[in-house]
Amino acid sequence: MTSVTTTIPVNRDVKAELKRQAEEMRRDFARRGTLVINVLSSPGAGKTSLLEATAKHWTGQRRMAVLVGDLATDRDAQRLAPHCPVEQLTTGGACHLEIPLVQRGLEKLGGEFEFLFIENIGNLVCPASHDLAEHLRVVLLSVTEGDDKPGKYPKMFRTSDAVVISKSDLLPHVPFSVDAAIADARLIQPDLQTFTLCSLTGDGIAEWCRFLNETRDRMIVESAADSSACVLNGAVPQ
Amino acid sequence: MHEASLVRALLTQVGNLLVEHNGEAVEVVRVEMGPLSGVESALVEIAFQQQVGSTPCRGATLKIEEVPLAAVCRDCGDEFNIEHFRFKCIACGSNRVRITHGDEFRLLDVEIRTESPATTQPDFQETQT
Repeated sequence: MTSVTTTIPVNRDVKAELKRQAEEMRRDFARRGTLVINVLSSPGAGKTSLLEATAKHWTGQRRMAVLVGDLATDRDAQRLAPHCPVEQLTTGGACHLEIPLVQRGLEKLGGEFEFLFIENIGNLVCPASHDLAEHLRVVLLSVTEGDDKPGKYPKMFRTSDAVVISKSDLLPHVPFSVDAAIADARLIQPDLQTFTLCSLTGDGIAEWCRFLNETRDRMIVESAADSSACVLNGAVPQ
Repeated sequence: MHEASLVRALLTQVGNLLVEHNGEAVEVVRVEMGPLSGVESALVEIAFQQQVGSTPCRGATLKIEEVPLAAVCRDCGDEFNIEHFRFKCIACGSNRVRITHGDEFRLLDVEIRTESPATTQPDFQETQT
């Protein structure tokens, strides 16, 4: 027998299967009325504080839960536990969250929620490449980080739907221009929604929560239209 | 560095192809990446060298094709390359652009050595975007 070399064409994203899985989960979440928000930023930009402020704002009004990722410790989960159901995802060293880890957290979390926040690992690089079945990707930029950051992390800002400029109470003390930061981010992603807020004082939190409510309402309408379109076409809703 | 986990996924897929096509060995793995793929070619190369020896793909060569970030304008239809991550149409100035290339880490094709000609499975040739 002779050896033959054959070229097998593939031409497919290495993450194609994970993307398909994420898409399926996203549709399922939408059908159940759960808006999933992937929250990203560098370490210490205020992701956990934003979620604490959000949970406090919604006390007794909205059902929200958090999956929080960290390399080590359950400190963030402990902070959030008094306010809402939370499950800590400990990656043990991995720089980002992936779908299987999220699925494990969901199993432990149980229950039905109107809002599910996934607080990603503090990192503006790797998490940008991983779809966690979210409907909304939000990147936080704290004023102490500098207004030149969006252009330095194009993938993160390009793949985000909203940018939250956090720690606005420190604006008088740091050379940070909100307008410059937003302009830089919009060169990369023109459709970015923007919020400037302070989680500690509560400034801007009401507007942020209103945006989340409106986004969820829109998702429910779109999901219902999507399902009826599938029925009309004779297809089984995915 | 998340290149390690992406290369692991890549090698699993290539290993599956080797089995599906009754191959003896993988000779070449060709991948494509661009400025928004979220991976660094040097790190992918290192991760590949570190991992390939302990997989059925051992001995395979990795060939990386780096492509520019390409886009099409949603307003005027112009196709162009994006420089310096400035997402603006170079023809009409619109910022409503859709990326067509350079934002994924794609497995292009695999060269597999077989003892007899490999059976091609036409239904396997996928071109997903």
